[in-house]
Amino acid sequence: MAEISEAPDSDSSKLLGSDSKAPQRPDSEPEFDPKLMRKTKPGLKRLFLTFSVLFSFLLGFPFLWKSVEIYRSPLPFREIDSLSTQLRSDTLLFPLHFHALFVGFDSDPDRLRWSILSEITKLTSQNPKCSDNYTLSVTVDLGSRCLRGPTSSPHSSSYQCGSVTGDDFVQNDDVVVDERLASVFGGKNNEYSMAVVKGVSERAVVGKYRHAWIVVGDGSDVEMAVVKVAEVLIKVFINGGREEGLIRNEFMPVGADGKIVLSFNLLNADPHDWVYDWDFEKIDDTLLTPMIEALGTVANISVESQVLYHTPKASFSYWNQKLESYVFSTKDLPFFVNSNEWHLDTSIAAGGRSKILQFAVYVPSAKECPLLLQLPNGEISKTNGFISPMWGGVIVWNPQGCLKDSEFKPSAKNIIPIQDLENMFEVFIGQFRQLFGFKSLNVYTGASGDWNLLPSERGFTEWELDVLSRQHTCFNLHSCATTLGSLSRLVQSLPRMIIKDEIGKQVKLSLEAAKLALSNASSGVYEFSAASSSQARSLAEDAFFHPSIMSVSYYSFEHCFAVYSPFFLPVSMHVVLAALRELRRYKQEKAKYLAWKAKANTAT
Amino acid sequence: METFINPKSLFHLLLLPCLLLYSSIAYNSSPVEAAMHTNNWAVLVCTSRFWFNYRHMANTLSLYRTVKRLGIPDERIILMLADDMACNTRNKYPAQVFNNENHRLNLYGDNVEVDYRGYEVTVENFLRVLTGRHETAVPRSKRLLSDEGSHILLYMTGHGGDEFLKFQDSEELQSHDLADAVKQMKEKHRFKELLIMVDTCQAATLFNQLQSPGVLAIGSSMKGENSYSHHLDSDVGVSVVDRFTYYTLAFFERLNIYDNASLSSLFSSYNPSLLMSTTYYRKDLYKRRLEEVPVTNFFGSVMETIHTDAAYKALSRRNSGRFEDEMSLDQSVHHIKRRMLIKVNDGDEIHDINPEGEEGASKCPWSTFRNKFQKAENVDSLLNYGLVAMIPLLVISTWLVQ
Repeated sequence: MAEISEAPDSDSSKLLGSDSKAPQRPDSEPEFDPKLMRKTKPGLKRLFLTFSVLFSFLLGFPFLWKSVEIYRSPLPFREIDSLSTQLRSDTLLFPLHFHALFVGFDSDPDRLRWSILSEITKLTSQNPKCSDNYTLSVTVDLGSRCLRGPTSSPHSSSYQCGSVTGDDFVQNDDVVVDERLASVFGGKNNEYSMAVVKGVSERAVVGKYRHAWIVVGDGSDVEMAVVKVAEVLIKVFINGGREEGLIRNEFMPVGADGKIVLSFNLLNADPHDWVYDWDFEKIDDTLLTPMIEALGTVANISVESQVLYHTPKASFSYWNQKLESYVFSTKDLPFFVNSNEWHLDTSIAAGGRSKILQFAVYVPSAKECPLLLQLPNGEISKTNGFISPMWGGVIVWNPQGCLKDSEFKPSAKNIIPIQDLENMFEVFIGQFRQLFGFKSLNVYTGASGDWNLLPSERGFTEWELDVLSRQHTCFNLHSCATTLGSLSRLVQSLPRMIIKDEIGKQVKLSLEAAKLALSNASSGVYEFSAASSSQARSLAEDAFFHPSIMSVSYYSFEHCFAVYSPFFLPVSMHVVLAALRELRRYKQEKAKYLAWKAKANTAT
Repeated sequence: METFINPKSLFHLLLLPCLLLYSSIAYNSSPVEAAMHTNNWAVLVCTSRFWFNYRHMANTLSLYRTVKRLGIPDERIILMLADDMACNTRNKYPAQVFNNENHRLNLYGDNVEVDYRGYEVTVENFLRVLTGRHETAVPRSKRLLSDEGSHILLYMTGHGGDEFLKFQDSEELQSHDLADAVKQMKEKHRFKELLIMVDTCQAATLFNQLQSPGVLAIGSSMKGENSYSHHLDSDVGVSVVDRFTYYTLAFFERLNIYDNASLSSLFSSYNPSLLMSTTYYRKDLYKRRLEEVPVTNFFGSVMETIHTDAAYKALSRRNSGRFEDEMSLDQSVHHIKRRMLIKVNDGDEIHDINPEGEEGASKCPWSTFRNKFQKAENVDSLLNYGLVAMIPLLVISTWLVQ
């Protein structure tokens, strides 16, 4: 430092050619004081030199700043917020249309319509998340002509007058009547139809498609029919036969990537007694495949099966002499699944975010055979099975005649008889429906009477699939919105976190799918809206759970500072100090020169 | 004055806040209903390596055994052991790990499934397990697949200090990292309730920064205190168990899956004079009363079950063999295709670490500049441009000096 400060003086004296420091020179001007004055103008070169170095540093600074910038893919925060507010404020509305047909009644359609609507409003519960926007049209078929109300409704005008008569309902076969009505009504996606006829025997049936019918006796009035119509429309077609409208989260076992894996396990508790096998492929083709196809829009389902040996259960049973069998009660159910011995989760088809549902058939050992489930009211269970929400279901199957051990060869492999297997799979389908929140009884007991529910070969009727589509769309969209909201909050709270392009792309695609789902839902196309909503949810989950969002790899400010300061701090300090010092020196020399000039001017 | 006493106006006065309260309650309670408790998970972490930290391994394995005995299956336990004591060359009893000098119980006997072993136990992997952010290839057995109805037990043991826990003798888990991970878990509803048990020195400081609701935390010692080992096994040559874990196990050995001892009885069973440290538990974030919560809510596994009332009898008409046999095969092919499709999407992202990003704003010169270095596409050419820009400055200044 000392050298540098000395050098300029000698330099300047060399460059400028004036030895302002020479005291031996005879004073031509006696007032010339070399410390306060100088005779020549100070040069600018040194100043320029130091300032050019400083300037080049300043010029390079933006390059440095850019090079340490964190790469953050721009996320559409405003759109995410708008999606959340849109879902929260205007509740998701599904448009539905109801059509009620009265055959053989002589009533005014508008009055009927008004009374049905008033009954409906009594039954509709407030559902904050997703609700339904319904319209109602009523047709009174008098045989020769039809009265419609409202007269201008496009939906009811598609019904041909006179297509449905009382004779259609004479026979007792519900399935035939169902098919007949299906050909009449058509059953488009968001239209539900009701037929009320006068007939001999009273009957109330909900079909497999999207219609239901009531046969009322001659003496009953139309008001009671109106109450029943309203009840089936709201409680069955909209709520799916449940009391509360909304499915709880534990009855939506769809994985975050929209997939479910059904894992069927045949558990032989003690292979020393007997070993059972099953013909799974055949039963899969006939029973499971239609159901899986039907649920294609709600979830992408795949099926696997395995047979396990040496799988005892963890709870105990006791011998009941009256029933001549071993009995376990519902209190033992939580301890039934012996997780130490039942190695069920060995799926290779399931990805990290799929949901696996385990369905286990338990074949008890000879020491505990037959094994029956006793309900709290003392009855024996008809299905011998139970479910655990979000996990799966278990059925206990007792081999034929297990008390008579003369018929069995313990070492040979036995196949479960096909009839038993079909019964078992019917219970499985019932359990699968239960996992989705649907009951499997064929009768719906409502406030105004019983309804027969026709079952479908596909495991779910069309109106049940509609309920599932609507509920899952609602759930998926809300889940997508909350996930994206959490992601945006997370990203904004950590300004130094790297956000890769992939995340930005997934967020954009998720928002597009959510918009598509919303538009499809509002126009009533449930399958597409369910599919897009599950895609939106899975993309949002992919974005949130992207493996690059890890807190330990955040490029913190302390890190940046610690890396760059050992070089830049000393160097910049030197450069800035040098520039400042040069400036100060220039100012001093300039002042000296000006003083000399002033003195010279006053002298002359 | 009279207007206040007037009953009608009083009624109106009371009505308004009641309405506000009601509407706020209604608004707050509508979005999420409390989920049902559906399953239990356990994440058991031992963070120390080297032979002299045998007791940490024994701690974790003892708790693993307890939790399995009380019903949590392997598929819902994530066991992370940072080193292998059973097969360590200094182990006089190969393939055996004891937690008591009477050697009555071999913890490593049978049915032990270790999910993360050895050098896989890092802070990053631990946080990935908690937050769920794994690479796509990580198998299901290494993931915490909990949902909004899960209760999670998180047990950590090793060496720790003020607001940190040491992993593998080379890195640290800080309390704010843990709090951050728990917060993200709560955002994503990955647990219903979480119990954190930490057995290290100054353990209570590790949960100073926790803020998420539904979390209960207990540490073996407070700030400034150490946690000590219980006893030395002169045969094996090292201490085999820590005091806190020893007394925890003593509590659980008396229980089986049917018992319903409460958490408060567990917490009050710790005697500070025997432990030589003060256990500290943090229950301000946990809403339920500890006397009402059975320990099997976290340490055991009790499934919620519902009886199946009826079968779905739909199947009067069935034609066997009518449907294609390839249906399930198609589905798996479709499945595979879909996975391949996802992989293809991975491929067309722009190169991963690109520190020079693109700016969100689009001013004209800036966008041409952006285009230019998008074409350039790596750091080196940008540096070259910068250096080239500096040369004229250099030239001018050297000319001036001469």
